[in-house]
Amino acid sequence: MPTLLHRFLLELGFALLEYQGGGSFVLLTEPPGWFKELWGAPESTEAKIHLAGKSPFLENFLQDAESSWKSPQPAEVQSDMWIEKSLAGREVPLQATALHLDGKRILALRSPDKHYREHSQLLQTARNSALVHEELLREIQKKEILLHCIVHDLSQPLSAMRAAFECLSAESVNEKVKGFADLGKLASEQQESMIVGILQAFSADLHTSLEGARDANVSPDLLACATAAMTTLSPAFEVKRVRLSFVPNLDGQADWHVAGEETRLRRVFMNLLENALRYTPAGAAVKVGLEQGGGICTAYVDDQGPGLPEDMRPAEIFALLSKGKEGGGKAGLGLYFCRITIERWGGSIGCASLLETGSRFWFHLPKAALAADSVPSPERALSPQPGRKTAAAQRLAMKILFADDQEDIRTLTTHQLERSGHKVLTVTNGKEALKAAQGEMFDVLLLDEEMPAMTGVQVAHAIREKEAASGGHAFLVAVTGNNTVQDRDRLLAAGFDAVVGKPFRMEALNNLFRGMETLRNSSAGAIEQDAPVDTDPILVLSQRVNGDKQLMKQMINTFLHDLPGRLASLRKAVQRKDAPELATQAHALKGTLSIFGAPQAHARAQELQDLGRSGDLRRAGQVHDLLKEEIANLEENLRGYAQQASGAPRSKGAKPQRPAGNRHKR
Amino acid sequence: MIQKKICMLGSFAVGKTSLVRLFVESIYSETYQTTVGVKVDKKAVALDNTEVTLVLWDLYGEDDFQKMRWSNLRGASGYLLVGDGTRSATLSKALDLEERVRKEVGALPFVFVINKCDLAQEWEIPASFEAETAARKWTVLNSSAKTGKNVEEAFLQLTRKMLG
Repeated sequence: MPTLLHRFLLELGFALLEYQGGGSFVLLTEPPGWFKELWGAPESTEAKIHLAGKSPFLENFLQDAESSWKSPQPAEVQSDMWIEKSLAGREVPLQATALHLDGKRILALRSPDKHYREHSQLLQTARNSALVHEELLREIQKKEILLHCIVHDLSQPLSAMRAAFECLSAESVNEKVKGFADLGKLASEQQESMIVGILQAFSADLHTSLEGARDANVSPDLLACATAAMTTLSPAFEVKRVRLSFVPNLDGQADWHVAGEETRLRRVFMNLLENALRYTPAGAAVKVGLEQGGGICTAYVDDQGPGLPEDMRPAEIFALLSKGKEGGGKAGLGLYFCRITIERWGGSIGCASLLETGSRFWFHLPKAALAADSVPSPERALSPQPGRKTAAAQRLAMKILFADDQEDIRTLTTHQLERSGHKVLTVTNGKEALKAAQGEMFDVLLLDEEMPAMTGVQVAHAIREKEAASGGHAFLVAVTGNNTVQDRDRLLAAGFDAVVGKPFRMEALNNLFRGMETLRNSSAGAIEQDAPVDTDPILVLSQRVNGDKQLMKQMINTFLHDLPGRLASLRKAVQRKDAPELATQAHALKGTLSIFGAPQAHARAQELQDLGRSGDLRRAGQVHDLLKEEIANLEENLRGYAQQASGAPRSKGAKPQRPAGNRHKR
Repeated sequence: MIQKKICMLGSFAVGKTSLVRLFVESIYSETYQTTVGVKVDKKAVALDNTEVTLVLWDLYGEDDFQKMRWSNLRGASGYLLVGDGTRSATLSKALDLEERVRKEVGALPFVFVINKCDLAQEWEIPASFEAETAARKWTVLNSSAKTGKNVEEAFLQLTRKMLG
């Protein structure tokens, strides 16, 4: 008569066996259906079953199991999943666990059918996405090659044009005509030079060359490149009557050597200056400035044009083939070239409207010596050496450990980090984070403040304590939904080097990485939180994931799937007047809401969290009701989008999406 | 009868399972179905009047989602290293895998198969890769699980190497 425990194991699909040696076992429980299907039912309960002979995989696993059983301190050993085929041809997924219980060598076999199917589905989706991503990258590369060919063809007539202008200026014509011919000749030479520059850049892109960025001895001088570009373009500025100059008080004696390559850096300045000239009216001025600090050099070009288009984000302005309708941008390549070039050298580029009039286009580049230091040899790349902190601080492609218990935040953040070229290991709680940090070297540890098992603060304490004994300094960044100055100070005091609000802007985080060394020494971490201007959750999400529709759909589905459970937990905490639980649940919900912007709902969740922390729950019910209303609006909007995205008709009452609007590209 | 264990190694979606399936069951499917876990198949072959049973361990492709367990290679007599000619990253991965096998398990006979030669017009094999495999003196075969080209040949060449 099977005991209740045996029946329980049978229900769960477990076969429990005791090892007899020589690859043979006796069953301790009645065999489940899959066992009989694969290997038949034993004749009696004492009958020995030679499993090793029935399954090559199990035969192999038994070697690991026996090692563990023989060990003075036997530990549980689990196998990979594997597939056995039944006589009927059915594939049965199996997993084995070897244990040592009451002096007996136990093997637990089970068929994790449901788990296997879910796992397969998840992997299938992930790998299909990876294949699509690879295909897209190949397509982009093909298009860039095509573009290269087109640009090449465009350059052909220029030689004839230049020769024609030369002939014209050699003729006996009056000074005015001669002036026009010279101008035409200069313009065709400039255009030819630009095309050559573009061809070189694309060629370099395709071969992913980093030459020039490695060697500090051949690194370009930022000031010299700016001067050369200004000299080349000065006739064009004169013709348009736009004044071109450096800002006053520029330090001409300082060392302006940066990462990069001279010809392309000059081209970057040329493009930025041409862009400024295009938008600056006659009689106004364009100024070029250079600054340095913290191992970074910054160059900027200020124009006195109309400023940036309001409906375009800076990232769009630097996109491939992005061009303005006003002011006559050309092929949309110039600023794109600037971005890919600067980013390739480990820098960043951006733009902003100036306060009164005009706009500033700027870029940062690492200083030459640091840049050379920041391109490690492959064998050094993942194992930072003592005394090499600067290299890690300047390197843009970081190896990052990211710990957060919320799946949606993990998905979004991993996407953001990987898009920025970082290598990311994610874990779901503090204990896993500590274990990972002790086993591997990371450039940065991004730790959620509130996690189960061990909080981010506890992990930071543990790491700092170990460092106090053994030396070293891991760069710890707290990721938190608690964004007050007091929170920041508290987290910095707890041992973090910096604090970021979640979800964060990648640009802010990358800037933080660049300033790592300064922060490490000054303990002056900054709170950087993405405060989306938009209130449309779909637009906010789209911006966060760079328009990746598949990921948007996934994140919305995750949110909608998890929402009932989150709301139920919150309601329970309110009903039971469980203040700590209310604070925890409100905090978790707040993190999720911030992915979609949702400022009203976010504020209510923050309010509930504050009430939970204070222990004063008198207004909790009221705030909870308001939060539910806000979430209902958000949910309706997201469901509308999800249905639209899947091709189903929008649900009644779903808010319409904001139209894309007319883009005024620069 | 002689029995030899062969492991299938390579990145995900290079066609390891398709090669085994075609070799063992003469079946090919266009649909990509990712492998989770380990599948073991057997196939008897005759080589120079010697009967050999090949025990084929179709291992999941390694990527960020599934990491390889070296214990699966225990007892292997050789392995088929598979890359996808249309995805150059899988070829670099193959170079890396071969080095890791040598380090973790020791030098084993292997044959490198560049799969999907039915899509040869989409292949992107860098000259540096060809130079690298030539320098390492690898046995390289271009195969297609879709057309069957060099599939049996790959397994037989490996068997010949294992019997040495």
